[in-house]
Amino acid sequence: MSCEAKRCGVRFSPPSIVLMYVHTDTKKMRKRIIPVRNFSKYSDCSVAAERLKNHPRHRDYLRQVPQSQLEKLHIILRDHMQGSSLEDILASFRLDPEEDLNKLDDEELARKKGQMDRLFERNRKRTDDPDFVYDLEVEFDKSNQEKCSWDEESDDEF
Amino acid sequence: MADDVGSIPELDQKKYDADEQVKIICLGDSAVGKSKLMERFLLDEFRPQQLSTYALTLYKHKATVGSKTVAVDFWDTAGQERFQSMHPSYYHKAHACIMVFDVQRKITYKNLANWYKELREYRPEIPCCVVANKIDADLKVTQRSFSFAKKQGLPFYFVSAADGTNVVKMFREMIKRAVDYKLNPSDFMDEVMEELENFDLEKKEENSEADENGLSKPPQQPGSTLRLIRPARVRDQTFSGNSNSLAFESSDCVAMTRKSKDNR
Ligand SMILES: Nc1nc2c(ncn2[C@@H]2O[C@H](COP(=O)(O)OP(=O)(O)O)[C@@H](O)[C@H]2O)c(=O)[nH]1
Ligand SMILES: [Mg+2]
Repeated sequence: MSCEAKRCGVRFSPPSIVLMYVHTDTKKMRKRIIPVRNFSKYSDCSVAAERLKNHPRHRDYLRQVPQSQLEKLHIILRDHMQGSSLEDILASFRLDPEEDLNKLDDEELARKKGQMDRLFERNRKRTDDPDFVYDLEVEFDKSNQEKCSWDEESDDEF
Repeated sequence: MADDVGSIPELDQKKYDADEQVKIICLGDSAVGKSKLMERFLLDEFRPQQLSTYALTLYKHKATVGSKTVAVDFWDTAGQERFQSMHPSYYHKAHACIMVFDVQRKITYKNLANWYKELREYRPEIPCCVVANKIDADLKVTQRSFSFAKKQGLPFYFVSAADGTNVVKMFREMIKRAVDYKLNPSDFMDEVMEELENFDLEKKEENSEADENGLSKPPQQPGSTLRLIRPARVRDQTFSGNSNSLAFESSDCVAMTRKSKDNR
């Protein structure tokens, strides 16, 4: 079985994870609904995500889906079980560049990191990419660099 | 035997005195990408040792510098950074420091000043660099100059843990500088700490446990010069002879004690 994961999401009732993928041979888009079992509002989402990622029946389909994303989907399911609205749940993941992430507890931080992971995974070069270069070096021209606005108001701060 | 100020029982920090051992620490706010940078540099070698009791992750690496093989221990924080301060043992005997910020979040850049201040209280002279991570998110930032590194006279790197830009270059240069520093140290913090410990032991001679603590050096003259060069933070510590308990006695070990409670 060979497939390419495209998108994933959740279905609240019954609690499931939904995966859209393209079958490599037939090039057809398909939907796979994976019921989330043995999962309650008290469950550990990171454990549940790992369990699902390694599930013998689903792991081939989920190979390209980062575990952090599965964890995020489980968090959404769990928050919903705890009575939060979808809007509030999604807001808890939203990144605010002004927010001081040092102030968050483990789980709140994991949410933000899960969100950051989307861009990280998109831009990520993996060792099995044909053009992967371990010690990639890029020189950035310093001669016409402009001053960063972050330095402005606080010239004497440092 | 447990080490003096670096009193983490699982970790004998004395090993960092050996020529072929260096310790490199990472500093920076939560989620700037410290751990991702480590992972990108180490790739398959990546086998961290989690010391969750101490909110600490250790990565071991073998490097070749010139003709020498060096064992590098990278110390990465696992949550301690959220207290905006690290336990003294984190800095203890470090030979170099990698300070990271996130080019997408100004606050992490502004906080570099605090991290740098704390670093210099413990390690006034060790090589240090400033790393601007996540440039893949917005390559335009590389056309900007960030003055903090320049002002402090520190090397500056634009990197991305995601696509790998300049990650290996930065780590290799820092390992080299750590080794150079070790061969040619320009500060005496560790020595000072050892003297202090002996001094304290001497005071507590009545119920001395000196042998048990493996501190066999003859007691030093309690010289006043030593006191003068003690940095402010160190001065507030309790340098008791019982090194195992030290981590939990000192006033600013909030991160470790809290974390360890969580884990019990
Ligand atoms: N786009 C992008 N995201 C990154 C990069 N490095 C780290 N991240 C993201 O930032 C999040 C936090 O990184 P992490 O290494 O856990 O930060 P730490 O708390 O400083 O150890 C990760 O989950 C990634 O999603 C990078 O180079 N580019
Ligand atoms: Mg980390």
